[in-house]
Amino acid sequence: MVETLINAVTLGSIYLLFALGMSVAWGTIGILNFAHGSTFMISAMVAYYLVQQVSLPMPVMILIGGAVGMLVSVLTQALVFNPIQRRNPDLLKAEMQIVVGGIGVASVLLAIAQNLTKSVPFGFSASTFTIRAYWVGPVQISNVQLVILVAAAVLAGLTAWWLRSARAGLALRAIGVNPEVASLMGVDRGRMALGTMAAAGALAGIAGILLTYYLGSIAAETGDSLLISAFAAIILGGVGSVAGVVTGTMILAFAETLVVTHLSGTWANAVAFGLIFLVLLFLPRGIFGRKEVRRT
Amino acid sequence: MIWYEANLVLIEATFINFLLALSIQIPLRVGVFSFAGVGSYGIGAYAAAILTIRYDVPAFAAIGAAVVLAAVVGYLFSLVVARLSGLYLAMATVAFVLIISVLAVNGGELTGGAHGLYGALSDLTTGGVIAVCVVVAALLTLTERGPLRRRIEAVREDPELSLSMGIGVVPMRQLAFTVSGALGACAGAMNTLLRTTVSPEELNFHLIVLALTMVVIGGSRSWVGAFIGAVIFTWLPSLLSVVGEWQGVVYGVVVVLAAIFMPTGLVGAAKDLHRRIRGRNRAVPTAPDDVKEEREVFEALSDDSTEGVR
Repeated sequence: MVETLINAVTLGSIYLLFALGMSVAWGTIGILNFAHGSTFMISAMVAYYLVQQVSLPMPVMILIGGAVGMLVSVLTQALVFNPIQRRNPDLLKAEMQIVVGGIGVASVLLAIAQNLTKSVPFGFSASTFTIRAYWVGPVQISNVQLVILVAAAVLAGLTAWWLRSARAGLALRAIGVNPEVASLMGVDRGRMALGTMAAAGALAGIAGILLTYYLGSIAAETGDSLLISAFAAIILGGVGSVAGVVTGTMILAFAETLVVTHLSGTWANAVAFGLIFLVLLFLPRGIFGRKEVRRT
Repeated sequence: MIWYEANLVLIEATFINFLLALSIQIPLRVGVFSFAGVGSYGIGAYAAAILTIRYDVPAFAAIGAAVVLAAVVGYLFSLVVARLSGLYLAMATVAFVLIISVLAVNGGELTGGAHGLYGALSDLTTGGVIAVCVVVAALLTLTERGPLRRRIEAVREDPELSLSMGIGVVPMRQLAFTVSGALGACAGAMNTLLRTTVSPEELNFHLIVLALTMVVIGGSRSWVGAFIGAVIFTWLPSLLSVVGEWQGVVYGVVVVLAAIFMPTGLVGAAKDLHRRIRGRNRAVPTAPDDVKEEREVFEALSDDSTEGVR
């Protein structure tokens, strides 16, 4: 029972690392990045090819994953999303073009990964890191789970503190409330957007490395299914709110674990979609969502 | 004729993709970002398969029943999501599509579970498919001219202004969901009857992506755009066999470039080009009434489209 609980929290922490950057980017600079799942997957894949050459320890792998994720995300922003936003002053139209552009980037990355790996799952068995299980009283917990829990807690805490207290965080939130007034107040939108996407990509990369360690192996298609779960969690908690993402990811992880243990596995997929649907109907702004003044 | 016989499957697929693309395009034309049409494709595919296999009804009756069922579901769905807009609505419709595929997997005997249904043999011919598409295109042409087109454009560009001018925005959106459901189901039902099988795997995220990219690349304002998109994305894979295993990369790059450089699709880009050339050739451009009216609508609407968002 307690172990099921720990497994659910670990799953929730992975979701959290993945969804955090996506939610902040969506809530502030208005970019819903459909290539986030592929960024996550490509980071793990690059780390896999490196570890096949040199046997690397886990911290180095995490750094590599973060760096690759950051690079991919920054390139996506600079080459695709930024040109689209510059050409479409109308935010609603830009939103749709950004979704389409993100889908395009995602299919490029997915095709590259499928070609290189031949759609065979890959893992980090060549790394120097070995999984150990510890007994804390009657409860078993592995060192990977510990790393995941600590990483998620620290990074989510840092993001929340930064958004709330740092001057740049304030500027970023200002863009989320009203981009035009924010730019009149001297906020450099382009630079903030690039920084946000860099951080979001790094978080996705780290999540990719940690999930691969935790599951043993992932495939090129893993990113896509994670993307849907992340949407559900973000909408559940409320777009752009760190407390919301934490709540959303944990609720989703517990609900999925509950369904898998009590019903059958084929219904697990329905949990995320069903949650999206119910939340949008009864709490359209999510649990922690701020009231958005927006024309329809 | 030999070419026709050899490429029959691709030709049929072109017309079915055309209807699928239309089911995404119709909501877009009234400013609603909805993928529910792909879910209706699934409803139509399963309804037609079940009717044909269990009750042995003729093709047109099976398709008709599937279309009516999905239109009703589409209307009810529009009531459910009436409060949502923008990307939230888009996400709700993605959830709708994926829930339908989960229902298909868990449907037991009725839907054949993860394996789907086999042996839906019927008398549907390629000519029948093309005839349906021609009728649909002719009906849509009526919505693309005159007062009706201006009303649709007003609802898309500025719902508040349309309301104040007495255009019913809510009924228009409900109608769009209903028509989208009917067209999606028509595509799904005809595809099932031509291929004689249906499985839950067909109804995945990639079908959503395909439907969206066809509309975005062709153009979202006219059925011609949907048709061009359907032709391109049905035939592109076989043309791209030249680049072999890298066709996924080329496909993605095409989508990215279209998103950046052709926000109105091929049809929109062609129209812009046409206008520019005509403007250069004539010293005093005397636009026909139709174009003038369109320009007036846009001028009236474009004043406040960027301020006050968020």
